[in-house]
Amino acid sequence: MVIVRRVKPLPYWIVPVLALVVGLLISMIILYVMSGGVITPYDILLSIYYGFTNVGLLAKTFALLVIVGIGLLVSFKGAIWNIGGEGQFYMGVMLAAWVALFSGFAFNGFIAKTMMILMALLAGGFWALLAALPRAYLNIDEVPVTLMMNYIAYYIVNYITIGEWREKQYGYYRTVTIPESTMFQVIDGTTITLELLILMITIFILVWLMFKYTSLGLRIKVLSSNPNLLRSSGISVQLTILMALLLSGMIIGMAGAAYLGSVSHNISYPVEEKTPGYGYTGILVAWLSMLELIAVPIAAYIIGALHTAGINIQIMGVGGAAVVNVFIGSILLTYAVLITISEYKIKIIVKKR
Amino acid sequence: MATQAESSKSFFSSPSTETPIIKLEGITKRFPGVIALDNINLEIHRGKVHALLGENGAGKSTLVKILYGIYTPDGGRIYIDGRPVKIAGPMDAIRLGIVMVSQSPVIIDRLTVEENIVLGLEKLNMFAPIRRIREKINEVSKTVGVKIDPSTEVWKLSYTQKQLVEIVRGLLLGARVLLLDEAITYLPLEEKKKFYKFIRQFADEGGTVILITHKIPEAMDVADLITVLRRGRVVGTVPVKGTSIEEIRKMMFGEKSSEITYERLPLGSPSETILEINDLWVRGDFGDYAVKGANLKVRRGEVVGIAGVAGNGQKELIQAVMRLRPVEKGKIIYDNIDITNKTTHYLRLNGVGYIPDLPAKYGVSIENNILENIAIIPTFSKEIINWKHIKSLAYKLIREFEIKTPSPETPVKFLSGGNIMKVLVSRELTAATKLLVAYNPTRALDEATAIRVRKIIKSKVINENVAALIASEDLDEIFQISDTIVVMNSGKIVGVFPADKAKREEVEHLMVM
Repeated sequence: MVIVRRVKPLPYWIVPVLALVVGLLISMIILYVMSGGVITPYDILLSIYYGFTNVGLLAKTFALLVIVGIGLLVSFKGAIWNIGGEGQFYMGVMLAAWVALFSGFAFNGFIAKTMMILMALLAGGFWALLAALPRAYLNIDEVPVTLMMNYIAYYIVNYITIGEWREKQYGYYRTVTIPESTMFQVIDGTTITLELLILMITIFILVWLMFKYTSLGLRIKVLSSNPNLLRSSGISVQLTILMALLLSGMIIGMAGAAYLGSVSHNISYPVEEKTPGYGYTGILVAWLSMLELIAVPIAAYIIGALHTAGINIQIMGVGGAAVVNVFIGSILLTYAVLITISEYKIKIIVKKR
Repeated sequence: MATQAESSKSFFSSPSTETPIIKLEGITKRFPGVIALDNINLEIHRGKVHALLGENGAGKSTLVKILYGIYTPDGGRIYIDGRPVKIAGPMDAIRLGIVMVSQSPVIIDRLTVEENIVLGLEKLNMFAPIRRIREKINEVSKTVGVKIDPSTEVWKLSYTQKQLVEIVRGLLLGARVLLLDEAITYLPLEEKKKFYKFIRQFADEGGTVILITHKIPEAMDVADLITVLRRGRVVGTVPVKGTSIEEIRKMMFGEKSSEITYERLPLGSPSETILEINDLWVRGDFGDYAVKGANLKVRRGEVVGIAGVAGNGQKELIQAVMRLRPVEKGKIIYDNIDITNKTTHYLRLNGVGYIPDLPAKYGVSIENNILENIAIIPTFSKEIINWKHIKSLAYKLIREFEIKTPSPETPVKFLSGGNIMKVLVSRELTAATKLLVAYNPTRALDEATAIRVRKIIKSKVINENVAALIASEDLDEIFQISDTIVVMNSGKIVGVFPADKAKREEVEHLMVM
């Protein structure tokens, strides 16, 4: 028996599917043991089934995860590891809230919503740019920088939420609810809003077009495979890095606006505990898609369903907020192990006499 | 002399009763879309230098990678000392006494020479005291005649010295068989000769050397036996004594061998100056001046060939012209515009093609396919890529240059080294509507292909009134292709000759002066 490196890679769906199955099995064991036998594998399967089949309930999480997943994919394709989705998302939320509450555009729903999305796009882009500039021009690793920027974003949003923007009537740690005219319009029978759906489809198509037909898309791909070729082709490596992170942040920022308009309708303190951490969960979505744009919605659907399942288990009264993270963590870990193993194969050579 | 020839003849005419150190039986290896090796049978004997020759994509590299455990064969068996073995990885190979030295040294730049060697041994649970490593380095350095200080960091070493470190490591690992995969092909001539002496000595002491090369003279100079591979099959094995370059060429290339000639190609008819370099000063990687006040003129319709031993500033000069390296002093004028402050991008949009050294590192992206490797150059695509246009261009290049690939959508990493080079050369020749800048443009190509590429470059220069500035470490190439020969030594231009008046001895003298 010998272990050799594969010349021809496995079909790309094998690793994510295996990671899901094995990761869920591991989660079942963990939850069974940790709950002292209260949460049985049967309960988990049931809640997963419920999670997968409740399309209406799942829809908004799904759409947000697709947008964030695509945003991360744009930078991951260039081997630029944007771990700062959370920060870019919340800067988007904050600027969208400013438009809805204080800009004076709220008199017209259409203008206000457009402005919310535009400002969130700029905010997310700006936040990513702060990490992109040192990465491109000083070669400072983007992973710790984008990660730390998440916490800065959390604290800025928290600071303004319990300070300047705090609602005065009851004195809760939150902003007032955004005006009716700026709320996104819910589609009947689902939890998703029309604007969120349009945004998701538009971003999907634009990013698909970018990677298929534009030089920028190709440059981002070559940035990960051979930046030296970019240089000798006369293309600025710095600018390509900058664009990859900037676009990534812009897309994720827009998800922030959609979240405010469709889901939360206000910002409440502490922000980091009020969402499932789209910026982090999006990393899992992007990875499970194997950085294939077409597979992002599939990955987002699965992760969205597991998220609903996790909440169901919490509702059963056992486990805590961490149940969702057990799922996500087990799958991501299994994925990381499998992706390494998948580059090799085991060959059994039978000795002939 | 006569007796020597006779004794070797008698040796080969009667089949040896001695067990071969390596015996390959029916080795077959397939890659997606191609059969790299097709039922290879080969015997390698102790104390011999055995050369494997073949044109690009003949399967030489695949064969040694199988011997070194990097690939496992799809079929066939390997015997070492008559016993069947499985070689599942380089560790297995090393335990069997097989050590490979490749053309790109696998050593860690930040560590010293000694540290690198100790590291190599430690992985095998071997131990050698530093003192012994130093002795060995000194011993081999002396034989080869290239000095190395064992305590310097590797990044300070030249290519030749790095190759030597690899060989020393191999010897300390107890190599009985050295696999040299184009390991000395790219060394400067002088140093190459020194390595030959070492290889000879290693074989005389009972070691075995398998030398992979696409250069026939190299094999003739140092080997005892030559095995020629062609399209994944063994054409034949012949002793070096009693064969000729022509015979080997025929085995390698078949009918195509008649095309091989080193005659000077027809001269161009130079017209207006397109590139002018005035008192150029450029710094090298370590901050000292690599180009020291060079002056040069390239006219449309001519090839200017820069001859020189590697490391005399040609690389830096070429990179400065392509705006990939800053200019300290002086001017570069292209098409009547001072480009000293312009970018590579500007040149790309204004009719300049560029063939860099180390094609797989700087010229193509091997993870991407042929179409993408063409579309990435700004000459061929603006913001929106016209894939239809790129595709028809790709098909044209594949046809004209006989690039062996299943399709234009095949990732370049699945092509052989020579075919990768063809992708690069054909692309850049298309991009060069006014000027082609190149460094070793035919380095990885076999003779027949190299000569064809030179002919294509030259006919483009003559027929389309393009200029070419070509630096090459291969003097045959310079003499064959150039209209003007420029000799570079220690960062200075030490001689300029019209090709029809240049004398080889004189140029060689200036190169090493």
